Amino acid sequence: MKDGFRQSMAWLHSWSGLLLGWLLFAVFLTGTIAYFRQEVTVWMQPELHGSIPDAGTAERAVERMSQLAPDAAQWTIALPGERSPAVSVSWRPADAKPNDRAALKRATLDAGTGAVLEPRETAGGNFLYRFHFELYGMPREIARWIVGIATMAMLVAIVSGIITHRRIFKDLFTFRPEKAALRSWMDGHVAAAVLALPFHLMITYSGLLLFMTMLMPWAVDLAYDGNRQAYFAESGFRRAPPPPRPAPQAAPLTPVAPLLAEADRRWADRGGVGSLTVTNPGRANATIELRPAESDSIGRGAATERLLFDGVTGRAQEVPAADPQPAAMATGNYLMGLHLARFAGPGMRWLFFVSGVAGTVMVGSGLIFWVVKRRSQRGRADTWGNGPEPFGHRLADRLNIGVVAGLPLAVAAYFWANRLLPAGLGERAGWEIEVFFLAWAAALLHAPLRPSRRGWAEQLWAGAALFALLPVLNLATAPGHLGNSLPAGNWLLAGFDLTALAVGLLLGFAARKVGRNAFAGKTVPAPVLPAGAVVEEPT
Amino acid sequence: MILSSLCVAYAGLLALALAMDRHHEQVFARRPSARTSRLLGWAGWLGLTLSLPPTVTAWGWAIGIPAWLGLLTVAAAALVLLLPHAPRAALRLGPAALLCAPFPALLG
Amino acid sequence: MTTLPSRLRFGPDGLRRLDVASRSLAGIVGGYALAAVAAMFLALALPMPRAEAVYTATMMSFAIHAGAFVWAFSVRTRRVWPGLLGPTLLLGGGTWLLHGLQSGAPS
Repeated sequence: MKDGFRQSMAWLHSWSGLLLGWLLFAVFLTGTIAYFRQEVTVWMQPELHGSIPDAGTAERAVERMSQLAPDAAQWTIALPGERSPAVSVSWRPADAKPNDRAALKRATLDAGTGAVLEPRETAGGNFLYRFHFELYGMPREIARWIVGIATMAMLVAIVSGIITHRRIFKDLFTFRPEKAALRSWMDGHVAAAVLALPFHLMITYSGLLLFMTMLMPWAVDLAYDGNRQAYFAESGFRRAPPPPRPAPQAAPLTPVAPLLAEADRRWADRGGVGSLTVTNPGRANATIELRPAESDSIGRGAATERLLFDGVTGRAQEVPAADPQPAAMATGNYLMGLHLARFAGPGMRWLFFVSGVAGTVMVGSGLIFWVVKRRSQRGRADTWGNGPEPFGHRLADRLNIGVVAGLPLAVAAYFWANRLLPAGLGERAGWEIEVFFLAWAAALLHAPLRPSRRGWAEQLWAGAALFALLPVLNLATAPGHLGNSLPAGNWLLAGFDLTALAVGLLLGFAARKVGRNAFAGKTVPAPVLPAGAVVEEPT
Repeated sequence: MILSSLCVAYAGLLALALAMDRHHEQVFARRPSARTSRLLGWAGWLGLTLSLPPTVTAWGWAIGIPAWLGLLTVAAAALVLLLPHAPRAALRLGPAALLCAPFPALLG
Repeated sequence: MTTLPSRLRFGPDGLRRLDVASRSLAGIVGGYALAAVAAMFLALALPMPRAEAVYTATMMSFAIHAGAFVWAFSVRTRRVWPGLLGPTLLLGGGTWLLHGLQSGAPS
């Protein structure tokens, strides 16, 4: 009876995981990279690499804004920091409607000179970020539903997986790469799942919460008679700030340097000032608002600490206190804030990235385990399914190749396209994405044409080469290569190159193991299991 | 701060692993006595507990707890990869990590 | 009727396939229906301001769906649908009553 229960949980785990596993792998992989989406975008815009911030950057930016947009209703200036070397500015023309985001004008300024930069057109890290919850080329709502359903399958797979595995703490440190393929894949899958289990639970549940009104609108629609705007207003979301009302009298803007100095002192441990918002610049009722680079509050919608100054006299003004969030919203916002990790400084960001990698490895190894287990059930000590193989197992294996090995290859191809396509090409951002999908399609088509083991090895080698050579490509096509970025301590660019190199080496390591047939187990043949058996070692 | 916590967490996880028969054998080629196993287990939990305060003092509870869990993931991943390939190195890294732990805290 | 696993084994057994299909449908559609109705009921029943009650109920509904899904694969075949539909109808009735009471009462 007890074992029966665990067996049906094992069944549920393997099928809920498999059917949406390929999509989940893509969501995890691109979502993990998206933790560094700003850094990725900067790498993909070499025109920004020469921008070097100094003490006068903020003042210069404000001065440049008074030339670029003297009559704007509001300026927003994002200062360079650990995540970007250049100044990103946006402004709202005086005649734009208050909540019309499309009316915002944007520009990028050189931090050292204040000159307007013209970076190449690219979707950068934003494409990978958007893809991880909206896919591409299909209506946004449908794509979000598909990802939402996959997320629910993930939650079911996590719950049934925990019930199946049971001995979570006993096996916490167990990894036996020298054992037969079946066992070492199992160990790897369990390790990736268990070691980052809190992260997996958080990321999955908060992923559902981020879509909650779309996936589960029934409570809102009943309690508010279908008026969702009323719900959003009442629950404190999307409260738009009052639109700027420029005073008729002109007045010069106060020098920003003293304000910045005060804020930098105050936020010394938070990366100093991150952004300035100037409302009604050049008018008698101008205000200047400063925010720190790193937030101390996680929650989405939670008020970050900020400083408000009178824009003419420079006197500090009182910041209107944000309404305290009720416990329910605070909990939900905390989880969603963790998912998005917008608050995270570099150290935290790396922790999220590593946890995301663990999630990607968990899904990928689970997919591979599904095939390896079925091959061993058919009584084959060889992992590669060289003999006759049922169509379903074959299909799963070739999809595994095209997704687990093929998607990293496509991501690398996206980065290569960024540097090899001419900088002035029309629709350039679209072409980069085109290359990503062409590379992925090629991988998915290549897989069924090759024997399993060759398919794995060839695609892993291709991905390894593309990633490991990215620093070389950067050397050939941009000034911010390792030879310059390392001595300058530019960890933003060096971090990208070194991470690409590490990913390339890891893929190469995997490719070499596949080539040597190491994953098939050296001497110990995989045990022949009865169908439906729960894989577990006797204690 | 983050490095102090990581070092202590690694040492704690190592002690917890050594308290288990399977991993004790991996490193020492023999099983631990019941007493050793119990002591190692306590030391392990003590290590995990001590690795929490640095993250909480640095970031507060709201960010400190997720950060601590993330550090445990990283430390455990290192241990899991080291144990089968280089059990001796996994062992030596423990005391080394403990010795290094105070320095990042003193620096900043 | 035995426990589930013997029915979940691969084989030419048509009944087993039907059982799996029925449980999957119960987990996906029945589980969602239960979660949706539970969210509506809780939104009206929780003693909190309206927005908070709606938020809390919706937030909990995903756990209810996942729990119902797993539950549909853990009990005997004949208990799956009654076990999901029963609470759904009950909560639906409760929602209808509460909604009638709350919209009828002058506030």
